[in-house]
Amino acid sequence: MALTVTLLNSAYLHGRCCRHKVLHPLPGPLLSDSMSKLYSSYRRPGSQPEKKTSWQNIDFSFKKGIDVLKTQLSMLKKETKDYVIGPGGLPLSQYLLEQTRVLWVFRSQEDLNKWVISSDVEIGGKSEVYLKLGRNNQAALLYGTLNTEVPRDGETKYSGYCSMRAKPPVGSFARKKYYDWSNFNSLYLRVRGDGRPWMVNIYTDPYFSHQKDDLYNYFMFTRGGPYWEEIKIPFSKFFLSSRGRVQDDQHPIWLDKASFLTLGFTIGDKVDGPFQLEIDFIGLLNDRAHTEEFAYETYEKNPRA
Amino acid sequence: MSPHAKLISSFSLILGTTITISSNHWIMAWTGLEINTLAILPLISKSHHPRAIEAAIKYFLVQATASALVLFSSMINAWATGQWDITQLSHPTASILLTAALAMKLGLVPFHFWFPEVLQGSPMTTALLLSTVMKFPPITILFLTSNSLNPPILTTMALASAALGGWMGLNQTQTRKILAFSSISHLGWMTIIVTYSPNLTLLTFYLYSLMTAAVFLNLNTTKAMSLTTMMTSWAKIPTLSTTLMLALLSLAGLPPLTGFLPKWLIMQELTKQEMTSAATIIAILSLLGLFFYLRLAYYSTITLPPNSTNHMKQWHINKPTSPMIAIFTSLSTLLLPLSPMILATI
Repeated sequence: MALTVTLLNSAYLHGRCCRHKVLHPLPGPLLSDSMSKLYSSYRRPGSQPEKKTSWQNIDFSFKKGIDVLKTQLSMLKKETKDYVIGPGGLPLSQYLLEQTRVLWVFRSQEDLNKWVISSDVEIGGKSEVYLKLGRNNQAALLYGTLNTEVPRDGETKYSGYCSMRAKPPVGSFARKKYYDWSNFNSLYLRVRGDGRPWMVNIYTDPYFSHQKDDLYNYFMFTRGGPYWEEIKIPFSKFFLSSRGRVQDDQHPIWLDKASFLTLGFTIGDKVDGPFQLEIDFIGLLNDRAHTEEFAYETYEKNPRA
Repeated sequence: MSPHAKLISSFSLILGTTITISSNHWIMAWTGLEINTLAILPLISKSHHPRAIEAAIKYFLVQATASALVLFSSMINAWATGQWDITQLSHPTASILLTAALAMKLGLVPFHFWFPEVLQGSPMTTALLLSTVMKFPPITILFLTSNSLNPPILTTMALASAALGGWMGLNQTQTRKILAFSSISHLGWMTIIVTYSPNLTLLTFYLYSLMTAAVFLNLNTTKAMSLTTMMTSWAKIPTLSTTLMLALLSLAGLPPLTGFLPKWLIMQELTKQEMTSAATIIAILSLLGLFFYLRLAYYSTITLPPNSTNHMKQWHINKPTSPMIAIFTSLSTLLLPLSPMILATI
């Protein structure tokens, strides 16, 4: 129960991190900013002060503007061509028949750049996390040390989490791209862990801000062995939590307009020490044997009798 | 949903629609529109899923804005001309504001962005109500004010709706969004003829409601929310799959079926009014929709797809097929021979 609360808290707190910076493996955690800077001027103990103000970061060069415009226009042209072919750039027959799809594969540095790592350094903790390519460029290695020492700022009770999140996909001119995952019903991960339990989070970017803290979570228990594991997590098992608390009114994820959906892995199992997770690829699967629609509260909540 | 709530919502829908279509004072028209907006909100959000609530919020915001614009336009007209009669909308500013308001209510092109999302977030029967019943009062107001509306604006919106409805519907994989885009393109056809022959607008609307009700009820029986589920319904109820294909082709406007009638009459009327280029353009634009419907029909009925679904709700068909599907499908495929009698009344 406390473990659940910690994991959920960590998932929520991690959701407030700076999403668009990828941390360099070596001085990584020392360079992350605190998100609280955007809302107030209070700087959490342990986080670094901002060296450059935001208005000094603007670049007014004309040539760079033209280059960016050319890139965006070529992306737009590619999107139009894909649109003519069929949904998601694939012909309709392929969309109808597909049973598996690989979403993220880790073979090069640009694949790693699609992910952001963060840890409790943002709130002043001492965990470290790094992401690099594994041996022979065949997997991504997420490793670090978890440290549950609570930062002494008088209000934090728990600490010790590290996580990795996918950057949301953007199309041309920074528009949101939508996934359609309605053909699939499970997440398929090929990982090699070290026995520690992880939590998989899915964030569906809602249109209105009332639900911006909603996160769908489920656990991934890894074995420690030298063999790769293929873990299937059906989407019907994901439960809803908001701001780290499990909600009463549960509902399944709607996968049709999985708009701006980001996937994340969090570790926060209150055990100090090193952790390591190698991920080969993350994909989707249409598991024909899995017929459950939703795992929680399938009874009628307000029976009429 | 509890029977009381359902009763209140459906009665309010009927009340709002009746108030608007039988009104001759602008305030009564606005009242009916507002009652309709509020009555359908619990029907959209009854499953309490965040996406359904999001759809309800989007629907409410757009419709409330449009109702406010209706009120503003009637007040401008009342200030300028001193009367509140719906058929006497003579002030030009009021007329343009009203056109914008009705375009928002209906989902015509510059104001169509809410429509697919709202339909996608609501259950199938509510989506049917949103496409047919909720469009009836604004089309009635369009019919009543047709002699004072601005033809170039309406023609532009109509052509853009036909274009966008066809183009955006091409790659949709969710059935409710497909029907939303089909609704937008049919609204384009309805709007292009309203200043020349309002009776044809109403005829198109009635036939469109018939055809779309056939399709929606059909998809509701097989619980086909997405294309893959729709493709597998041939195994469960083969005859329903065939009738779905016929109803879709009727929506597309293919000749021996009913859907051809409004398109033919509209093109004939447009050419009589010397708007040949508009007629050609809108006919060509509806080819995009036709391509899409043909592709759907090909993949669902003409070839039998080998995929199967483990979507459990599709296999739990407890209630028998509604008889309304049979009625609506027969009407939506076999009404073309009635055309001589309709021609006499246009």
